[in-house]
Amino acid sequence: MTGILRETLVLSAVSAQMADAVERAARSLVHVSGRARYGASGTVYASGLIIAADHTLERDDNLTVEPPDGRALAAELLGRDPATDLAVLRVADLGLDPASPAAGPVRVGQLALAVGRPAGQAVMASLGVASALGGPLRTARGPVLEQFIRTDATPYPGFSGGVLIDTEGAVMGILTSGLIRGVGLAIPMSIAIRVANTLARQGHVTRPYLGVGAQSVRLPDAQRRASLPEHGLLVVSLGDDSPAARDGLMLGDIIVALDGRPVAHVETLQALLAERAVGATCGVEVVRGGTLTRLMVTLGQRQPGARA
Amino acid sequence: MTVGGANPVARPGRAPAYLPALGDDIEELLSRVRPSVVQLQGRHRVLGAGVVEGGGGRVVTAHHVIAQQWPVEVVGADGRRSAARVVHADPRLDLAVLDALDGAWPVAAVGDSSRLRVGELIFALGHPWGQPWAVAVGIVSGLGPLRLPRRPELPECIWSDVRLAPGNSGGPLFNARGEVVGLCSMVIGGDLAVAVPSRTLSRWTQGVPQCA
Repeated sequence: MTGILRETLVLSAVSAQMADAVERAARSLVHVSGRARYGASGTVYASGLIIAADHTLERDDNLTVEPPDGRALAAELLGRDPATDLAVLRVADLGLDPASPAAGPVRVGQLALAVGRPAGQAVMASLGVASALGGPLRTARGPVLEQFIRTDATPYPGFSGGVLIDTEGAVMGILTSGLIRGVGLAIPMSIAIRVANTLARQGHVTRPYLGVGAQSVRLPDAQRRASLPEHGLLVVSLGDDSPAARDGLMLGDIIVALDGRPVAHVETLQALLAERAVGATCGVEVVRGGTLTRLMVTLGQRQPGARA
Repeated sequence: MTVGGANPVARPGRAPAYLPALGDDIEELLSRVRPSVVQLQGRHRVLGAGVVEGGGGRVVTAHHVIAQQWPVEVVGADGRRSAARVVHADPRLDLAVLDALDGAWPVAAVGDSSRLRVGELIFALGHPWGQPWAVAVGIVSGLGPLRLPRRPELPECIWSDVRLAPGNSGGPLFNARGEVVGLCSMVIGGDLAVAVPSRTLSRWTQGVPQCA
């Protein structure tokens, strides 16, 4: 070509930095074989420990993990949590460095790369942004995820268990398309590591529960005092032997606060419960017969399929 | 010759403004490569895209763009038109070489696809849904073989998340330095673009006669 060409230095540098970020993240990514059709990805988060997506492990045994060097290593399933679509695998002699979690909070609009190892040694990536921060999420497979990251980076088949990274290659979250079918989400790394540590320790996640079915209602004007919020949760069902029934909640109570924090929506109550431990005692403020009453309820352990 | 590129604008107390410089670079890159990208038409209908890869108006494109259509006309970004004849074609690699018979055409720089890295930026130029000389940006999503049922295996391909549509076929993928690194071939599963790498293209065109 003729004429004076101006070098595209910034563009070239940005491009190289993105490839560097993918390369860095890929060092902690493995391929996971745990289902019939095609495999998925896994992320090393501690020495010999791998986070995978629960829905990509269709069996508990005969699981294999392939690190970037192409070895096929037997993996032991330490635990799984369908509610967050996370599972933890342990592999002896893996020899990979754990992924680096991103330092600061995820910001909407931040450039993001989805990176996975859907087929053996080859790493794949797609580009997008952190589109939104959502949550809490009530999923079809369980109660809540306090927060999740939406991204427009293409979630290729087999990316679940891989990572959403920033432009430095640090991990913002673990990818899954299993929580909302076909939609690319990432579970924030801090939540994923917390769940993974629990799974590695005890094989499952215990979630505290009250045992009430409730719906959001506007408090009747006659019952509203200056000190009461506008909305609360009307108890419409109570589990037999549930912590709520045992400790005195009744049908028709309107729950307005948990430990002093107002609860106007079921999701808020679920999120507050998720922060507490099984066996913890909470102050539940209810409006009963027009009077504000405070009950102390000791949280029980959720059984699969139980209500909030 | 080359001169220095756009510089990030220094801002007291804040990080330099990289994004305006990035935008300037992309604009510069596109204005540089656009004249070498052509549109292929058959009976005044857009068939796909191509890129001028050699002197004398040697155009490379995807075989499937021209397979069913004849005669084919090559249209430049400046509106010039030329009749074209097929010099060589390979349905298996989905490649074809045309000779644009009239005039001199600006030739694109061809890069080395074996140096591509997963994650690097790429730009597709083509005519999606007939929109002339449209650009789409994406990254190299993967590099590897393509195995599809009832088709011979292609040993090397570029995979990308760049959004392609009918009319992009045969058009070039450029890297951040404005070099052709691949030719758009197909889209799999709605969102995975597949391109023939420039290394495959260069090897293949070595055996092709030069255009007059």
